[in-house]
Amino acid sequence: MDLFFWEIARASGLAAYAALCISVLSGLAPRTQALSFLANNRAVRALHDWTPWIVIPAALTHILALLLDATARIGILDVFVPFLTTYGQLAIGLGTISVDLLIIVLVTTWFRRRLANNAWQWWHRASYLGFVTMFLHAMLSGTDLTSPVISVLSWASAIGIGYYALERLGKALNPARIRA
Amino acid sequence: MRANSPTLPPIPAKTGPGRRNRSGPVAAWGLKLGGFLTTLGVFAGTLGYANTHLFVTNAPLRPAAVAAVATAAATSAAAVTAVRSTTTTALTSSVRTTTLPAVTATKTS
Repeated sequence: MDLFFWEIARASGLAAYAALCISVLSGLAPRTQALSFLANNRAVRALHDWTPWIVIPAALTHILALLLDATARIGILDVFVPFLTTYGQLAIGLGTISVDLLIIVLVTTWFRRRLANNAWQWWHRASYLGFVTMFLHAMLSGTDLTSPVISVLSWASAIGIGYYALERLGKALNPARIRA
Repeated sequence: MRANSPTLPPIPAKTGPGRRNRSGPVAAWGLKLGGFLTTLGVFAGTLGYANTHLFVTNAPLRPAAVAAVATAAATSAAAVTAVRSTTTTALTSSVRTTTLPAVTATKTS
């Protein structure tokens, strides 16, 4: 039974990473035209608003499977408080931080109407940090990242998102270029 | 003044308010379906891979119990190798020729 939870944890971990890639990319796309070949901004925005429906189940499955896997020795506290595990403190701790940031981003989005737009935007930018910590968590602890195919796909998606994030940052810092 | 102003032509459907301003062919539901199928595909594909690669020897993380077992296995394997190397029997030919006269005779046909 332990092996079953172990396999589920590995698969759902990569599924959560893929779902987060889709979420971040669809969030970047309206300003960067990253997905303009695929759909208009309204459709991409609708996709971005919908992505919690794939990110949350995948992340919850990953966490639950690790909690039920006796060999992994992950406790409830380890899910929310980083660097408490008896092994792989940095690698697992980064995953914990990404979960915390995911919760912050989701909760602040749900209460967006009660927040000032500027405040919500700053909280929402935590998703970039969440993606980085999740990527590092995958690289440092991902068992399946030892496979060349999975590793190349993971790196390629991360590099793509990094590229569009830098493009988005460039446009944010130099708004005159958008008008030109 | 108003009566003299020229009547504007009707707005064509292609450029009017009801126009379909699309830069890509996929609708929102298509993107959502694609996102869902991609995530599901990654889950199923990795599950299949994990099923065939249960024990990855170069995995970056190992829980304490697994690491202890792995260390013990490595130690015992090293010990077995050491024992094997010390007790290796060298097989050489022990039949030697002699210059003494033959005691028995072999009949040749």
